[in-house]
Amino acid sequence: MKTFKRLTIPYIVWMVAMIVIPMLLIVLYAFTKQGNDVVSLQFTFDNFKKFFTDPDFLKTLWLSLRISLITTVLCVCIGYPVAYAIAQASPKKRNLLILLVTLPMWINMLVRTYAWIGILADNGLINHILAFFGLEPTKLLYTDFAVVLGMVYNFIPFMILQIESSLAKMDKSLLEAANDLGANRFQRFKNITFPLSLPGVVSGITLVFLPSVSSFVIPKLMGGGGYMMIGNVIENQFISVGEWNFGSAISMIMAVIIMISMYITRRLDKGDDTVRARKGGNVQ
Amino acid sequence: MEMEKKKLIQFKNIVKDFDGQLVLKGINLDIYENEFVTLLGPSGCGKTTLLRILGGFLEASEGHVIFDGEDIAQLPPYKRELNTVFQKYALFPHMNVYDNIAFGLKIKKMSKDVIEQKVLKMLKLINLEGFEKKDVTLLSGGQQQRIAIARALVNEPKVLLLDEPLGALDLKLRKEMQYELKKIQQEVGITFIYVTHDQEEALTMSDKIVVMKDGEIQQVGTPTDIYNEPENRYVANFIGESNIIPGVMLEDYKVQFDDIVFDCVDFGFKEREQVDVVIRPEDLDIVKEEDGKMTGIVKSVLFKGVHYEIMVETVPGTRVSVNMQVTKEHDITSSDASEKISANDFYVDIEDVKDLNDAEIIARADAQAWETQEDEYISISKIEYDIKEEIGTYPVTFATSNGTSVSIDVFVVQQQYVENPKANEAIAAFNFFKTVDEIKESAALDTDLKTWANAQSWKLSDESDVEISNVEYDFDPDHITAGTYQVTFSTQGREFKIHTTDIAEEGAEVGLTFFPEDIHVMSKMGF
Amino acid sequence: MNNKKFSRRLILGLILVFFYFPILYMLVFSFNGSRSLTSFDGFSLQWYEKMFSDRNMMEAIYYTLITAVIATFISTIVGTITAIGLSKSKRIVREVVQQINDLPIMNPEIVTAVGLMLFYVSMHMEKGFLTMLLAHIAFCTPYVILSVMPKLRSLDPNLAEAAMDLGATPAKAMWKVIVPQIMPGIVSGALIAFTMSFDDFIISYFVTGNGVKNISTLVWTMSKRINPSINSLSTLIVIMITITLLFVNLVPMVKEKRQKQGRPISNKVFGIIAVCFTLVIGSVLVALKGGVGSSSPEDAIAKYGSDTLKVYNWGEYLDPEVNAAFEKKFGVKIVYDTFDSNELMYTKLQSGESYDVLVPSDYMIERLIQEKQLQPLDKSMIPNLSNLAKGVKGLQYDPDNTYSAPYFWGTVGIVYNKQKVHKTDLEKEGFNIFHNTKYKGHIYMYDSERDSFMMALKALGYSMNTSDKKELKDAYDWLVKAVDIMDPEIVTDEVIDAMINGNKDMALVYSGDAAYILSENEDMDYYMPKEGTNLWSDAMVIPKNAKNPKLANEYINFLLDYEASMKNTLFVGYASSNEEVLDEASSEGGEFDGNHAYLPRVGYAKDEIFEYNADVKKIISDYWTKVKIAK
Repeated sequence: MKTFKRLTIPYIVWMVAMIVIPMLLIVLYAFTKQGNDVVSLQFTFDNFKKFFTDPDFLKTLWLSLRISLITTVLCVCIGYPVAYAIAQASPKKRNLLILLVTLPMWINMLVRTYAWIGILADNGLINHILAFFGLEPTKLLYTDFAVVLGMVYNFIPFMILQIESSLAKMDKSLLEAANDLGANRFQRFKNITFPLSLPGVVSGITLVFLPSVSSFVIPKLMGGGGYMMIGNVIENQFISVGEWNFGSAISMIMAVIIMISMYITRRLDKGDDTVRARKGGNVQ
Repeated sequence: MEMEKKKLIQFKNIVKDFDGQLVLKGINLDIYENEFVTLLGPSGCGKTTLLRILGGFLEASEGHVIFDGEDIAQLPPYKRELNTVFQKYALFPHMNVYDNIAFGLKIKKMSKDVIEQKVLKMLKLINLEGFEKKDVTLLSGGQQQRIAIARALVNEPKVLLLDEPLGALDLKLRKEMQYELKKIQQEVGITFIYVTHDQEEALTMSDKIVVMKDGEIQQVGTPTDIYNEPENRYVANFIGESNIIPGVMLEDYKVQFDDIVFDCVDFGFKEREQVDVVIRPEDLDIVKEEDGKMTGIVKSVLFKGVHYEIMVETVPGTRVSVNMQVTKEHDITSSDASEKISANDFYVDIEDVKDLNDAEIIARADAQAWETQEDEYISISKIEYDIKEEIGTYPVTFATSNGTSVSIDVFVVQQQYVENPKANEAIAAFNFFKTVDEIKESAALDTDLKTWANAQSWKLSDESDVEISNVEYDFDPDHITAGTYQVTFSTQGREFKIHTTDIAEEGAEVGLTFFPEDIHVMSKMGF
Repeated sequence: MNNKKFSRRLILGLILVFFYFPILYMLVFSFNGSRSLTSFDGFSLQWYEKMFSDRNMMEAIYYTLITAVIATFISTIVGTITAIGLSKSKRIVREVVQQINDLPIMNPEIVTAVGLMLFYVSMHMEKGFLTMLLAHIAFCTPYVILSVMPKLRSLDPNLAEAAMDLGATPAKAMWKVIVPQIMPGIVSGALIAFTMSFDDFIISYFVTGNGVKNISTLVWTMSKRINPSINSLSTLIVIMITITLLFVNLVPMVKEKRQKQGRPISNKVFGIIAVCFTLVIGSVLVALKGGVGSSSPEDAIAKYGSDTLKVYNWGEYLDPEVNAAFEKKFGVKIVYDTFDSNELMYTKLQSGESYDVLVPSDYMIERLIQEKQLQPLDKSMIPNLSNLAKGVKGLQYDPDNTYSAPYFWGTVGIVYNKQKVHKTDLEKEGFNIFHNTKYKGHIYMYDSERDSFMMALKALGYSMNTSDKKELKDAYDWLVKAVDIMDPEIVTDEVIDAMINGNKDMALVYSGDAAYILSENEDMDYYMPKEGTNLWSDAMVIPKNAKNPKLANEYINFLLDYEASMKNTLFVGYASSNEEVLDEASSEGGEFDGNHAYLPRVGYAKDEIFEYNADVKKIISDYWTKVKIAK
């Protein structure tokens, strides 16, 4: 079997070059001063100090967390009923609905978000409609609302698909058992369906929270040039300001935050994971 | 006693169809209080469907389910006074043992202390005290099984439905649980309706067995009734092992099969009615040839632990003999000796001539070509023939792309076959040609001989295939030489299966005997 | 029961409307007869025509497709082979590789992107097609591995052994036995890889350069101005993706149906379909490629040593016809890239990219000269320097035009709605009108640290070139206050369309943009405060590392010519550096006759030109980031 093992060697080399080294470079830049070359590295914690001592940068961090949290909560609240409705449909319809939910995901995020600009703009569709009914035009674009809308629009399919698959996978006999033991529809949902779909909700949360907390495209398009989430700060540092060291430090901070939140959700999920695995084992 | 029992459930003409497919064809069945009833049948017979209709998970297309005097068709499952133990238990994986058992009681909003009391009592009943806080997914199959039962029983239903609950357990555990289930049922004193396809389970536990097939009830009765007095061939076959022989009821207490008249204890059939006769293997005894009611040859003896299972053939099968002409090597070598080609003559039935094509002819002639050096097969690229649908001999030539060729003869003949109207069978085979090497190299000679001779057997009534079970010949395949040999093909004759502690030798001529009461005569199944 | 069904349908209906309405909206407006994104003015294919004649868009489509195809192909093969290898490797190797493999999937894309960018810079790799392709392969392969691994896990581990036991070589065992078994995983992996690559923005944005853009990065640079061609492009993408998905989803269905009917489709048919599909994509690529580079380069190579000229200019700052005319005249190909701030351009330059012609602003030119990053112009090749307008002659950063040739110039001022804003307020308050809460919620500020600080400093009566820390702090406070009490929107080029539409009453804008706004909306006027303002100019320079300086000089001369200058000033609306053009456009009967914004204010004492000061730059860029965050 040696022959097969050897097949991995090219990719391992590639992986080290294209995945490991770039990550290490971020760490290296984050801990060094600007302008030095590899020969004379000057280590420093200034980049981190700058971020954590400045309330304004912490504010962007807080904004990112707040917006992503709102997005995630909305995605759960909207996504759950949708997923539930899809899971209830007949298999044929279910496949079609899943395809319909998936389809927008395949379309460029930028393009999809751009479409909203025309709808939300001050002179956009919604304000035209409001004006038509004699209502006061409202500022929609370049607000928190627009950013959250853009994020929900882009990321909710992940939530729906995760919850839907956990609902569809659910052992139907568990639901019958609940009915059999006297639970009506509501009690059954509360005691059985919902708790058992939680792993899907948790992985949905991961899939929504992660991209929204690090996003810089949606805040910029929907929030305007002055809308600074942590992703925008990173982009700003690398593209306009040119402070790669500081930018690397922020990237590192963000990666760490995300790793921590992943760890937490995985821990939350773990109990259920083993349950699922074991249950699978028994069924066989 | 029987008279005091009250009808608890009545199925009245229950019909169920799924997308036009009838799964239940008008089931009428009464179930009494405190009964252990088993619905027995193979998968797809409708037994689970019937159970789910009772549980409220399915609606019957027609008919009524009367429960305790009330029609419950419109009652949702959670309002029915019965509980189910599901096939794979359906324990809630996110709850511990206690919460699983307490689920139904909590739904009913009982007070905490009452719940606790009841759950602990149940745990005692199922012998799992101290397991309250355990994760249900970490328990063994048998333990999960008992929790599922406890979870259902704690609600004090009038009926407990069990849907193949032991199916997922291993054999030993299953036996233990059978015993335990019966014990629990007797202790709680409610009706159990148990669905299984395992006849042994049914016989061990039930007060009443309902045998089902294709959405219909075949027989309802106690285990002894069903075993000893099966109503038809299907029930007899399904419950236990049996020898079933077609016969004729001459008059009351006289039945005839295989040309012999036997005394029996059955009566009430029409004169000369076609019947099926059941003799259980343990009711047959092997005796000396002259003492037997029937005689036969021992075909096989298998050791089964407490007894031997002996097969005795009392009536031989239908046979046909053909000639096998064995020749020496007949390979044709090409002029430059680089390749070889070979093929055999063969016989073909005049009716099959129209089906002959290149591939069929190559297969029947066993035409092959190969490189001498590498010993690798090469394809036969050309085949010439002109076979008419007339009796006669026709030449066929096979050739490779290099032009190496071989010619054979194909004999178109009228196929002869042997009919055996008594056994409702016919058998046919062709003479054939083979080389010494082909016979020596054959890895499964019996099968090859059948193929070479194109041996076939069929039922006279409907032309369905009959297996050719015996191939006889008198040559030694490892040392065969050129010449003509006879090969005989035959079908299975009448065989009896006997369970006995006495041993008999294979090939011995023996007698078989039984008591008149061991014969059970049944009506033929209607189709 | 019915009630339940109804609510289910309602929920599904609403979510589908939510998903598809914007896409449909975009689709409809791609056929709009006008530029508007709100009112439909008749059916027209003009935006499609524009798209197909726009070389940038066609190039972007070409690069997107070619990258996606190659990246999918390579990552599918590499991913499959690696996954097979991993399934036979030691547990520890497998787990480590899978963990690392998960990194690009789990990490925020921006982190992966930044890492790759740093990697390329440290390897001194010039950003462009190759860097983008490698990056795409790098982030696609993990997805292929991820989708193939589960299929391998569910495979009988003895399959390969059995095949080899029966005489297959390891390669044959893999190809004939393992690969067919895991085909569904490979196909879905390839599909994911294709769409990931096709749709990628973030990573491409950080690792591409030298004029190589994919659709996403192009849309990003165009998205600030209303450009219905984006809608056409998006419609095209939606259609392509839909067709691909339908194909992928329908084929198995058809196959199953045929099989049920006993007429299975042979693999040959699939092969033919696959070949046709590849041929279509291939021919599209060839067609696009043909469109991309069609000039005959031999003469140019003989004369200039290379047939390409790399230009880095502001976005929307040049009439595309001018470039086309230059290409035609000289038989060369222009790689045209755009930026939206001097800082962005500078950063890009620092990351090692080389251009032949840049168009930075005054202070940035000063910086580049100081840092010795420019080479002198070859004046013998630029006779048109003599055509310069008076206002751009002898500018202090480069009085003799040694390094730079002015391109456009102008002032910074306030565009206001005459119906809503009293001119008296403006005259009384000047830039301090940005503290007048009467206009709260109705103003735009410009997302430029320089010009924002210019406004603040001028409002406070300081010089805009001050290096006094206290004055800068005052200006910062002034800006924070403005942001705080006025609730402005901080925008870049989108201000142009917004003001044309009259969305708000007042905005800080460049005079050239103001000129365009004024010509499109009669209610708008332009005001230059008495405190003085920024008199700026953008000029063409040739960086030291230019690869084709000779052609660059030729290009600069070409742009200074009357014809090109006229075309550009009419297209962009900025004041031309060509005296004749400037006069003609602003005099009676000219395009900008009576337009207050077109002609810059010359000789006003309080107006200043930006000077470069590294320390000040750092201070204000930190301050500006914080002002934006404060919002």
